[in-house]
Amino acid sequence: MVNNSEARLGRRGPSPATACSAHYRVGRWLLLLPVLAYTVFSAWPYVWTAIMSLRTTDEIYRSHYALPIPAHWSKYAAAWNQFGYDVYFRNSALVSVASVLIVTVIGAMAGFAFARRRYRFPLREPLFLLIFLSIMFPPQIMLLSLFQILVQYRLFNSLTGLTLVYVVTELPLTIYLLRAFFAQIPSELEEAARIDGCSDWAMFWRVMFPMALPAVATTVILNFIYFWNEFLYAVVFITQQKIRTLPLAIQFLVSDQYQDIGMLATGLMIATLPVLVLYLFLSEWFVKGMTAGAIKG
Amino acid sequence: MLVTFYNSFHTLRMDLGMLTEYVGLEHFREILTTDDVFWKAARNSLVWGVVAPLIDIPLALALALTLYARVPFARVFRTVWFTPVLMSYPVVGVIWLWVYNYDWGIANLALRSVGLGAYAQAWLANPATALPALILVTTWMFAGFNMVVLLAALHAIPAEYLEAATVDGAGAWRRTLHIMIPLAWPTIVNLAILDFIGKMKQFALVWVMTRGGPMWGTETVATYVVKRAFEWKTLDLGYPSAIAVIWFVIIFGLTLLLTRTLQRRQSLEF
Repeated sequence: MVNNSEARLGRRGPSPATACSAHYRVGRWLLLLPVLAYTVFSAWPYVWTAIMSLRTTDEIYRSHYALPIPAHWSKYAAAWNQFGYDVYFRNSALVSVASVLIVTVIGAMAGFAFARRRYRFPLREPLFLLIFLSIMFPPQIMLLSLFQILVQYRLFNSLTGLTLVYVVTELPLTIYLLRAFFAQIPSELEEAARIDGCSDWAMFWRVMFPMALPAVATTVILNFIYFWNEFLYAVVFITQQKIRTLPLAIQFLVSDQYQDIGMLATGLMIATLPVLVLYLFLSEWFVKGMTAGAIKG
Repeated sequence: MLVTFYNSFHTLRMDLGMLTEYVGLEHFREILTTDDVFWKAARNSLVWGVVAPLIDIPLALALALTLYARVPFARVFRTVWFTPVLMSYPVVGVIWLWVYNYDWGIANLALRSVGLGAYAQAWLANPATALPALILVTTWMFAGFNMVVLLAALHAIPAEYLEAATVDGAGAWRRTLHIMIPLAWPTIVNLAILDFIGKMKQFALVWVMTRGGPMWGTETVATYVVKRAFEWKTLDLGYPSAIAVIWFVIIFGLTLLLTRTLQRRQSLEF
């Protein structure tokens, strides 16, 4: 206040900016206290799990909070080879990657078709409204009917069935997000491509799809994390051990071998590391992708 | 979706080859009048749905404001806080089973180390503490995520508004209360409603950590639906479908109600 009035009067005192920012800087460092407290609360559980993943169960029972010295990296190989994580990892990867591919290809094409008035087909608007509404359907209400449908088509208890369910559940949101992006791209670009002799198909894949890559990447990340971590559908639609996905496997391992904390911790890290490593390299994309999904929640 | 609505008026015996028999509103009557477990589950889900946003969103807002105020190492903090939401519910559930372990979990160790050992307990085995313990886990998961969205909303506020307020003599506290929060209000409402919906549907965390126990203390509507459909000996898909329909209507109605009331407040403040 004083500084402001002095400045207004044109006096030559300490410049208001520096006086303010000195005060400001102290405040910034004071804020660090609650921030650090929350960081401990936030990071402690998973850092601790990461530490335990490198220790044997005997070591952990001797002291739960010691550092991993020596670090047993071989536990990762053991979990992978002896405890079936190779199979569960493969199942999760298969389902996630296949679902992401299908959702992305269909979602991009459908999103584009809905973004351009040129493509007319019967019930266009009602259909889009239905897709939009189905973003909001809670999974519980789809669960039992999907179960019935899967049983009817003999896709119950198969990774194909689970993949199809994942595609169906995430397709509406993907179409919705990509349609919004395609609608922003000026249609002159398409016309230029068409004058150059491109068919609709070539124009879409060679011109429009590459232009939409940022938005596509966002949906790919959003969907991949969702599929990789999905639990509700997996627990209902998969009952055979051989085709369990990682989240499902962990639920069974925690009840079968809950004594073996060390190996479980290693398993938890195996289930989480792919996403974490990607996150470290692409954190901006992740934040974008996850928050784009916030409209679904 | 439509199949579920159809089923809710029928009895479907899985053991008899999906034999379908029309029962009209019988399921709905039974759920609403005689099913005690449903009411317990509904109460738990509702408590979760209401309490969680009330904790998550203010906490996320406070965190976002500290980062907005340019705390040193803000990027590191953001990365660390955001991480829990990337983990799957089973992974999170197992980790927190350990945190709440009676003998060596960090929750009890911390209490004992500050002399409050008398409060140390088996958090998930006591019907009174199990639900709050689970709510804390979802807060841990989602506060960082909500923080990131709110931070983006705060950064979207034009700097001129804040400068103008500073020139008018508004301190940091009043700038926050009268400019930043009202301008970020639509985002806040949006996140709160999403949080509410998410908690009303909560399934996976409960399934991994407590299976709805002890004494239905953490049973949610979602876990009850799955139990009735696939674990109880009734083998009837119609009854759980009716629960799902009722719950869908309730979530939908409450969401509309919340959106309306909260957004009206926004227009008043502008």
